[in-house]
Formats: sequence, C-alpha cells, structure tokens
Amino acid sequence: MERNPISQPAPKPSPKPRPIPLLETSAARVFTHLHPAILLSSYLLQFPSIVADPISALAMSLLPLALLQVTYTTICLPPTGTSSYMPAPKATKAGLKKKGGAKQTGGYATNLATSLLALTLAMVLGPVLLTIVLILFGAPITTHLPHTFLCACHMSLLAIQPLVYTHGVNAAKWRELSGLLVPVDEVVGGSLGVFIGAWLGAIPIPLDWDREWQKWPVTIVTGAYIGYALCKFLGGSVAMGRHINFG
Amino acid sequence: MAKESEYDGIAAKFAKAKARREQEESQGLTTASQDDKKVREYQFTASHGILVALLVWFLILHALGIYLFTSGFLLTRLVLNDRSQCAEPPVLVEGYEVGSIENGCWHPKSFDKAVVIVVDALRYDFTVPFQPSFPEEAPHHFHNALPFFYQTAKDSPENAILLPFIADPPTTTLQRLKGLTTGTLPTFIDAGSNFAGTAIDEDNLIEQLYHAGKRVVHLGDDTWHALFPGYFEPNLTKPYDSFNVWDLHTVDNGVTEHLLPLLDTTNSSKWDVIVGHYLGVDHAGHRYGPDHPAMAAKLRQMNDVLTNVAQSIDDSTLLVVMGDHGMDQKGDHGGESADEVEAAIWFYSKRPVFGRSSSYRIEPPATAKERPVAQIDLVPTLSLLLGMPIPFNNLGAPIEEAFIGLSGNQFGNLAAVYRLTTAQIGRYMSSYSNVRKLDESTTAEPQKLWKQATASWDMVQRIKNPGQYDWRSAYQAYSKYQKSTLHLCHSLWARFDMASMVHGIEILVLSLGVLIVYACGITGDRTELNPILLVRGALAMILGAVLGASISFLVDAFPFISTTVYLAALGGVAGISSGFWYARRLRAPVPKTLWSFVGVAFTLLLSIGFASNSFTIWEDRILLMFLASFGVMMFGSSMRQRDVAKRTFGCYYSILFVVLTRIASLSMLCREEQMPYCKTTFYASATSSTSAAWQLLIPFVTAIVLPEIVKSHFKATGSYHGSAVLWIGVAFRIGLLICALFWSLDIADDKDWLDWDKARLKTVKMVIAQIALVIALPAGYSTFSWCEPFLSISNTPARAATKSPEATGSIQKPPTTPGNVKPTESDENPKQAPIVIHGYSNLHGTRYFLLVTIWVLTLLLLYKPMGSGALALCLWQILCLMEVLACTGQQTSSIGPVVLAFIGSFYFFKTGHQATLTSIQWDSAFVPLRSVRYPWSPVLVVLNSFGAQILCSIAVPAVVLWKQPVKTKGLLGQVAKAMVIHVLVYATIGLATTVWAAWLRRHLMLYRIFSPRFIMGAIVLLVVEFVGAIIAVGGTRWSMMSVGDVFGWP
Repeated sequence: MERNPISQPAPKPSPKPRPIPLLETSAARVFTHLHPAILLSSYLLQFPSIVADPISALAMSLLPLALLQVTYTTICLPPTGTSSYMPAPKATKAGLKKKGGAKQTGGYATNLATSLLALTLAMVLGPVLLTIVLILFGAPITTHLPHTFLCACHMSLLAIQPLVYTHGVNAAKWRELSGLLVPVDEVVGGSLGVFIGAWLGAIPIPLDWDREWQKWPVTIVTGAYIGYALCKFLGGSVAMGRHINFG
Repeated sequence: MAKESEYDGIAAKFAKAKARREQEESQGLTTASQDDKKVREYQFTASHGILVALLVWFLILHALGIYLFTSGFLLTRLVLNDRSQCAEPPVLVEGYEVGSIENGCWHPKSFDKAVVIVVDALRYDFTVPFQPSFPEEAPHHFHNALPFFYQTAKDSPENAILLPFIADPPTTTLQRLKGLTTGTLPTFIDAGSNFAGTAIDEDNLIEQLYHAGKRVVHLGDDTWHALFPGYFEPNLTKPYDSFNVWDLHTVDNGVTEHLLPLLDTTNSSKWDVIVGHYLGVDHAGHRYGPDHPAMAAKLRQMNDVLTNVAQSIDDSTLLVVMGDHGMDQKGDHGGESADEVEAAIWFYSKRPVFGRSSSYRIEPPATAKERPVAQIDLVPTLSLLLGMPIPFNNLGAPIEEAFIGLSGNQFGNLAAVYRLTTAQIGRYMSSYSNVRKLDESTTAEPQKLWKQATASWDMVQRIKNPGQYDWRSAYQAYSKYQKSTLHLCHSLWARFDMASMVHGIEILVLSLGVLIVYACGITGDRTELNPILLVRGALAMILGAVLGASISFLVDAFPFISTTVYLAALGGVAGISSGFWYARRLRAPVPKTLWSFVGVAFTLLLSIGFASNSFTIWEDRILLMFLASFGVMMFGSSMRQRDVAKRTFGCYYSILFVVLTRIASLSMLCREEQMPYCKTTFYASATSSTSAAWQLLIPFVTAIVLPEIVKSHFKATGSYHGSAVLWIGVAFRIGLLICALFWSLDIADDKDWLDWDKARLKTVKMVIAQIALVIALPAGYSTFSWCEPFLSISNTPARAATKSPEATGSIQKPPTTPGNVKPTESDENPKQAPIVIHGYSNLHGTRYFLLVTIWVLTLLLLYKPMGSGALALCLWQILCLMEVLACTGQQTSSIGPVVLAFIGSFYFFKTGHQATLTSIQWDSAFVPLRSVRYPWSPVLVVLNSFGAQILCSIAVPAVVLWKQPVKTKGLLGQVAKAMVIHVLVYATIGLATTVWAAWLRRHLMLYRIFSPRFIMGAIVLLVVEFVGAIIAVGGTRWSMMSVGDVFGWP
C-alpha cells in the first residue's frame, strides 16, 4: 500500500520472531500443566469470598498469585535474552546475555531473579495502565475504583509478568507484541487469553438474574483466569507457532 | 450452453480490450483528448446513476419485507360498526320503562348535564398528599399543588370521588381519547398515527349524545375534532392546536376563558355536555419534566380553575375531571410504565349522590396501587349516569361508588347496572366471535361465568325479600364475567397474523443474503455488474407484482396487497440472483482476516443479544465496549505498520478514538429499566427535560473547536485552500455559532432569563434557526456541488525541500509525467525545480468530506446542547477512524463501514435517545417552525432521532476516499461495496430485532422493550439506506466529477 512516489525507507526488518518454547526440563513440562490447575482450583476456593467482599479477597489473593506466577516463570520459561532468536546482544539485564535455545542456561537463580524483576516491572506499570483500559471499556469512573484497580492487578500478574519475563523491556519487541506480529506461544496465548476472557466476562453483567456474583468486577476477574488457563494451553499446543492474520 | 459460450466470448473480448487499453495508457499512448474525457465523464455519470438506482432497489426490497412483517405484527382489532340503541337494551329490563331519553334509556339517569374535563397527563400522585417513600424524602414540585380533589373527596364523600384511573397502553392522547369514549382497547399500531388522528368509526359516547339530541360543546385540544368531526356545537366550540409543546398557556387560558361563562346560569340552557381538554400539565411535563416550578405553578392554576368550575355548576350537572394518562420521570408518555398509566379521576356533584360500600373506602387511595379503576370504566359509568345507552363496543364496568347510593348499600342498583353493562359486553362478544369466526373453546371461560351470573340473578329474582348479600353476590358474578371477558379481549387483540410475519421474515432473510453476496461475494469491480443486476432485479420484481396481483384477483383466499408485495419481493430476489449467477464472479462470502471476523462477530453478538431484554436495555454500554474493542484493534493494526510516521499517527488516532468514545459515553439518557444503575446527564436532572445552564457552554465550545479540528485534518495534507477555507473557516463556523445562539435563547426562554414577550422570542428563535438551515443546506450544497478540488500549485523548490512531501500531502510532479496538468514553465526549462501540488494526496477525501460537514451543521441545529456536544465528538471520531484506516491502508476494507455503523448506533444513545417511544424529542419539530407542517415536521423529528446514524452513513464514502490516490481505479465500486457493508450491519440488526419480536410475541416485555426496538431497527434500516443511496453515494457524483474534471478519469 505504499502509494506516495516518495516515501521514507522502511526500517530494517528485525529477524523473524519465533515462538518461545518451554525449558527443556521435565520439571518445566510437568509444572506448566500443574500451574493452571493450581491457579483455577485456588481461584475456585476463593470465589465465595471474592463474591462476598471483592476488595479484601482480591487484595489478599494478590501475593499468592504473584508467588505462583514467579514459580511458573522460573521453572518453565526461558528468561529474556536467552532464546536464540533475540536480536543480538540487546538483553536488558546484567548476566543474561547468553544465547542458546530453550536450554536451562543460567540456572534457576537467574530465572528467579528475572522473574522477580519482571514481577516488579509488571506491577509498576501494568495495574495503572490496565485500570485506564478497563475504564475506557466502560468501567465506572467515579465509583468502584479500588475494585477496578485490583482487577487490573490480577490481570497484570496473569498477562504481563510472563511477557516481561520472556520478552524483557525492549521497545521494538513490545511494539511487535502489541501489533500481534509475534507467533503464538504459551506466553502470548496466555496473555491474549486474559484479555479475551476479561472481555467475555463482561457479558453476564447486564443480565437481570440478580445474582451476587454479577457484581463488578467478579465476572471480569473470573473470565481473565479462565481465559488465561485455556488460551495458555491452546497457545502451547495446537496454536503454537501460528501467526495472526490481522487483515 | 450456447449462452455460456456467448458470454465467455464477450468476456474474453472485453478482457483483451481492457488489457490493451491499460497497456496503451501506461505507455502514455492515449492522450486524454477532449472527446475521450467527455465519454469517460458520461460513463461515470451513467454507472453512478445505476448504482444509486440499485441501492434504492435494495431499499425497496427491505421496505417490502418490513411492510409484510409489520402488517402481521402490529395488527389487530376488528372494528364493529354496530350501534347501541336507546330502546333496545341488551337484556330484558323489568320494572322500568326503557327507551326514554328524558328519564334514561336503559336505566334511570342521575344527571341531566355533565362537564367533562380532561387534564392531559394528570398523574394520580399529583392529586394526593405527598407521602415520603423513605424518611428523608422531600416533596417534589408536583406534590401537594392540586389539593382540591383530595379535600372534597375526603371531606364530603357523597359529593366527590377521587380514584386512580389506569390507562391502557399505548399512553398517547389519541389512543386514550378513543378508549375514553368507546370503552375498548385501541391497539399498538394506532400509536404511530398521533401526528394525524383519524375519525372514530365505532360506537362511542359523543356520537350517542349527539344522536340523542344533546348539545355537546368542546373546548381545548383539537385532537377531539379529528376524532369526532361534526358532533360538536359549532358556535360554542373552541379548538386549539395541541402539538406546540412549548406553549403552556394558550390552550389552558382559552379553555378557562370560554368554560366559565358557559357555566353561568344565563348560558346553562345552551348546552348539555361540555368537554374541556387542558394541555398545560402535559406540556409542562414535556418541556420541563414534572419536578419543576413551572409544573407546580400549572397544577396550582388547575386547582384554582377547577375549584371555580365546581362552584359554578348547578345541582343537576355532573363534573368529571380526569387525566388521560400519566407521565414518566421526565414528563413524557406513550409506554406502559406505572407512572405513565396511573392517571387520576375525580367525580363531583353538588347534590349528594355518591356512596361507599365500606368506611375504609371513604378516604381516597393513598397510592395508585389501591382500588384503581380502569379508564374504560368511565364509559358505562358516564353513559348510565346521563341515561345514555352504553356504546356497543364497551368492555368497561360501572364504577361502584357512583351507583352504590348515599348509604353505600344499594347493591340491587349496582347489580342492575352491572347486568346491563355485561349483557352489552356479551352482545358485543357474540357479534365479534361471529365475524371473526372465533373458536367455541376461546370464549368458553366467559360463557361459563355468564351462565353463573345469570343463574345468580335469577335466584335473587325468585327470593321474596332479597337482602344486600344476595344482590351483592349477583353483582360480583357479573363483575367476574366482565373481568374475564376483558382478559380474553386483551389476549385476542394481541393476536398476530403469523403468515404475514413469516413471509416478512423470509423476505428480510433473502434480502440479507442478496446484500451479503453483493458486498462480499463478488470479485472485481461491482459497477460493471450493476446494470445487469438492476435490470434483472427490477424486471423480476415488476413481474412478481403483476403475478401476485393476478393471483389474488383469481383466487379469493389470497389478499391483494400482501400477495402482491410478497411475490414482488420474491421475484426481485430471484431476478438479482440470476444476475449474480450470470456474472459468474462469485466467491464464498466468509471472513478471512481477524478484522473481518471481528466485524462479523460483533454484529452477530449484538443481534443475538437483542433476544434478551437485559442486553436490549443496556445496548448503549455494549456499544461502548465494542467501540473500545475496535479502537484497541485499530491500535494493534497501527502497531504493525513499518513506517514510523504511519505507526505513530495510527496509534495516536486509535487512542484518541477510544478516549473520545469514553468521553461521549458520559452523556446519558436513562430509560426506566436502567434505573437505578444509570444517571441521566443529558438533561439537568432525571426528572427534567430541559438542559442545565452549564450545558450552554457545549454548543459554543463546539462552534469554536469543531471547525479547527476539521481544518487541521485538511491542513495535514495541504488541502485547506479555496472553497475549503470559505466553507470550513467561515460559513461552517458562523453556522455553528448561530446554532449555539439558538440554543442559548432556548435555555434563556426555559429559565426566563429574558424579559421578552414569549411570542416574539419564538419568532426570533425561528428566524435564527432558519438562517442556520439556509447556511447549511442551500449555501452548503451549492459550495459542495460547484467548488474545485482543494489544490494549490507552487513551484518554490525551497518549500518542497524543507518539508517532507508526505507530511504536507503534496506531490512533486516531474514535468515528464503525462496527465492533465497544464504544462508550466518547468516544461520549457527542465533543469528548474519541479512544481509542487499541495493537497494532491487527499483530493478525493477532502472534496467529499465537505458534504459531511454540511450535514453536521444541519443536524447540530436540531440537537439539544448535550446532544450537539456528542454529535461533535461523533464527527471527530469519524475523522480519527478515517486517519487510522488511511495509515493502515484499509480504506477499502470492510472494517471502516462496520465501525461506522457501530459509531452511529452508539451516538444514537449519546444524543439523548433510547429505543423507547417516550425518548423521541418531539420538540425538535418546532426548532425552525411554529406549527406542525407536513412533510417537514416528521422529517425534522427523524433527523433529530437518527442524526447519528445519518451522519455516519454519509461518512461511509469519506472513509473509502480519504487519502485515496487520485487515479485509483474502481473507486465507485469500492464506495458501493462499503455502503452495502454499512447497510448490512443495520440489516442484520433489523432482521434480528424482527425475528426476536416475532419469537417473543408473548413475552411480558414485548411492548416495552422488544417491539420498540424492532420499530427502531426497521426505521433506522430504511433511513440509513435512503440516506446512503441518495445523500452519500449520490453526493460522490459531484466530488468525483470535480476531481475527474481536473485530473482525468482513471
């Protein structure tokens, strides 16, 4: 669609991104399936208290969720900069400049450090950004702000922490991510799932069923959890490596 | 087979000729001679005309389907022409000489004369003392302002009765007057005829009075004259125009001025019945809402007038005051919410006649939920009290208090009047079931009750000294029969003609299929196919109509109109399908990309959601979420752009798109069902229909900012030249300022800021509004049709070198390029710097966009301040959408028109509308006019109601043409495709709401939620198709011709 006779030369295309594989350890293969099971069953356990008092229950469950996500990324995923497809030595954190496939290169200590760093970064930017996004999608502006913020926190932990862990904070990388130019893998699938799930979670809210669980933001959080688990599985299996045709 | 080969041969020749021509063109062999240009121009106008005709043909197809469905859905009571006769009571009356007008036809009369006063929209809670529903609640303006009724009914119960008076929906004045005089239940389809009432052709109270030789005088609302032409005393009657809702006082003062002299003893021999109709309360409600000082003042005025009237009547005169319906929180009516149906009725007589059957009934009910009477009950009550026969079609029952006697124990009398009334109901029902050939089983239940009631009556007759208890049981038995019959009639008249409905749906489904194939199932340029599609479609449609007409002529079982319509539509579909088949350029219309998938999915999701009352109620929020999702996808799409400038601009406009959506979403007009999760911000408060003072800022901000925004988008491509400066910079701005001035005067009028005469103020406002319209339409259209494309040519190399051509949208034309640009001096001296044409990169887009601004100006005049702000945001959002799509190169993809349809639907709600009858802003009909004028008044109301959808459909070609290279081939075909896709969204929604309305026809919420949404969906579809074909695609003729004139035809 280049139409103007004179147009600026396009920037040099970056190497074609490839899907992120799991670490090649048996622990990773087992835990990646254990992780959604733990996630969903613990959410199911908390569900009554979330319905009863969303603010305190969602706040209380943040720390366990953060621990679970850190454990998952540490055990199962290659930290940023270790996959061979990363464009040259652009890795962001010290000690992570090694290259290689999805082999366990830096040891769990490195992974853990990256995980925690990713957690920090995800929680600094994610919740505020997602709160704004939720409001733009129709969340109440003047009321229920703590509810919306906590919902955004949960979504950040689910969707953004693994992304930061695997992709770092490279601007070009994030541009690709937000344009969905990357192939589908477990991490991208899971993150997409959070947003799709949260979107679908809004559907039951207006129904006149007069159920307690229809209140803000219970359905959104529930949708995000289910969508995450489902799409993470799909992204890691059937849809692995597929590209999205935007049109 | 022969045909096929012939076709193939033609196609091959055509392809060959086309290829040769293209080759010649690319080699610059054909220089565009003057003749050639003429031919091309002619070709363009021809294919443009055919395209518009084809779009109109689609419109006709939809109209046929909607007509068929509507005729089956909005049926449905058969009007019987029988009349009750004075000398023929429905049952044998013993112990009374029937047939005397002097003493009473069927039953001894109680009054000689009557004054019947309708206070339009008198809600029951206006008349009873305020009772807080929660401890801190303070009385509203409408409380305690009309205490006279309650006082008299409480203090002297034998002189006055005050009761809740429940209207049958639809609660529009015309339908209510029909119900109040005939005693039957007008059906929903009549609701639309409020603009032009038609005479009642069934038995009614006014006609009975007239034929009995009574002199009936009418004062007030002229709707009565449309209903009862010729029945009123011509000398004494004073009708007043009813539709000018701005005017609170003319009608009321007129009625009072003529009413009080008539009540004077010197004049009382000149009349027998006076019908007065006050409109002030209703107009105050429409204009200000119930909770406003103007309403309190109006009610106090009514209180004083009616106190006067009550004092002036004589002993033999009955005074009845009633509301024909109530009003909702905002002061509107038409639906069936509690506030709209709960009116009040008050009987008054100087001579004590009324009674109460028990002491707890003495005090008037505290709320409308206790002891209500139905509105149709007035008909038998008034008939019997005045000694008239009960109108033939009446279904109501006499009001107990009027016949129970002073001591409250004359159950014998009560049973007698109930026997007469119900016997008349029985007579009516047997005629009705004869005519409609009703099944025996349908009427079995009331028949059984009737037998029981007559048995009970006969038993009382046999008892020597019947006691109150015996009479009472007879009365109750008759009452049971009346209730059961009423119930039966309610269900009978909600009966649908399934055959018509199913055929209508069939046509809508088929036409949706036709649209889908046309929009998405054809390869190549559509304009090449249009002639054959149009000819076959139109011919087959005419053939079908002729066939249908002849079949219905030959076979009696087929009704003429629906058979003709059905076969015409089927023929049309068959004809165009054969055209598609002949063309052989079909492909499967399935979404292949994420974008098109999302467009289809969102349309389907919304359509499926209309099956649920909750999703229908919350449609505005759903659209907000969908638009935000589209915005996020646009952001993602922009992020995929390699080019930094495109990526940056795309992202910026995507974010702006989402933010603007959310800002616009703050303008809310809540429907009743959304309470308490919604706060109305469109008006000053939820109980008002006037704007707040601060909202006055909005039109002024719009007037200053909106032209700047449009200008900036023109300037970005260097297109802000010549007529664009004149129109956007001057005329558009002045027009908007005039609109703002109009609305300031309007608010000043509402709030009484100006100490002007009201009539003069109205004249000033009208003149201002008309000036704005003159600027918008005649001046705007002549600019649009005559102006040159927005170009400027310079040959200053310095400028071209410093500014990036992409950013300024200019092109540097090397002198060797063949084209229609006249050679400049650079031709003579090739070494010199090339010429620069500013505005070249967005020639089509900016030229066409002028049309969009013309219509924005027109619509903004009709929008209340909050609505004008919302519509301005709508325009801004359309600009954002166009920029994003231009950045991602998706001008011709299906997503633009789909998103536009969603924007249009969203802003329908944000400009102060809902899918309910009550939210129609009738007052917009009076912005540039003083009184109702056809066809302009309905057009203005449609422009106000569906302005957002209209604006968005006008913007459809703009999206396709925005930043489109001048020489793009097949642009007209792309415009056609985009327009049909746009219509497709509305057609899908229209079909869905139709199907759901049919499917849920027994749903409790049918008339409150599904039926209004279906009506809206159907009207929006037709309006959008009309605007799309005539205004939008029609408008491309001028814009594309003017570009083609300068640069030649691709």
